[in-house]
Amino acid sequence: MKNLIHHLGLGAAWVLVAMSLLSFSPLDQDAAGDQLLGVWEPSNGRARVKVERIGNKYYGRIVWLIEPNDPETGKPKTDKNNPDPALQNVPLKGYRMLKDFVYQEDGTWSGGTIYDPLNGSTYSCVIKMKDKNTLDIRGYIGVQALGRTDVWKRLAVPGK
Amino acid sequence: MQHSFSTAFLAIVLLSVGLWSCSGPGEAHTYRAENVEVVLTGPLLEGPNTGQIALEIDLASALGAAYTPDTKVTGAQLLQAEVLAGDSVGFDSVRSLVLSFASDNADVPMQEAAFLNPVPAGSDRVALEVAPEAQLGKLVAEGKLYLVLDADFAADYWDGDRRFLVNFELSITAK
Repeated sequence: MKNLIHHLGLGAAWVLVAMSLLSFSPLDQDAAGDQLLGVWEPSNGRARVKVERIGNKYYGRIVWLIEPNDPETGKPKTDKNNPDPALQNVPLKGYRMLKDFVYQEDGTWSGGTIYDPLNGSTYSCVIKMKDKNTLDIRGYIGVQALGRTDVWKRLAVPGK
Repeated sequence: MQHSFSTAFLAIVLLSVGLWSCSGPGEAHTYRAENVEVVLTGPLLEGPNTGQIALEIDLASALGAAYTPDTKVTGAQLLQAEVLAGDSVGFDSVRSLVLSFASDNADVPMQEAAFLNPVPAGSDRVALEVAPEAQLGKLVAEGKLYLVLDADFAADYWDGDRRFLVNFELSITAK
């Protein structure tokens, strides 16, 4: 390092130090975390979920349902299994089923929860990106090892 | 003997009541925010769209004379919330609204606090239905939080942004 500083001069060395600091900046962390943004489809193909950022956390809303209307009523489905009775009339389309995910240095998004509208249950969840178009979404109660993983695919946006 | 027993019993009761009130949740204060502007950035596609705005709740002004630097928020609940049209388009094509609060703190989860489904046609000011189980205490204690408004559109809207104004009232308990 001494040789390098001597060779480059003190000014250039400071530029190198500044560049190395910048390479670990929060901006890079944000950019890495933002790879999760977009529209994703679970393996059953019955819904599509748009991931957005609010503050420094990531959230996913249901933006499309293969069956948007309740077959019994013919009206748009609502979150009728929500454990909070006051929220059972909230439309399912638009419901935020992924909540509070924080991007971690190990390349995962964790600390969040996934909600299953079929039974009204909420599970702890960790998200891993296998490649830029594939996610492993692992829901669990208590211990990750006892969870279940679903593979979600990124929905191609026309023109991109 | 009986007199001293009664006095002792009364003292224990008063001490218990005193301890209970010291360990209770604290005093409730009402906090009102008005005309919080939420912009949904266009183009907006048919379906749910989100707007968000960062808010800071100044506990000193919210709690007034009851505030000291040691004051701790022990709970908060939404009492009422209403949404007003912030532009001439109003609630045209808006099918439903959901109001949530979120925090940057990894330990403080988002809370859905109120919603309206459906939004009555022709409205330019609507009161939301409050979810009484939503616990906002940890969010308010953070001081900085995000107000999130989801609006479900019945049709695409390509002509720019949509603006809404949110008024809400919280009951903040602190001690």
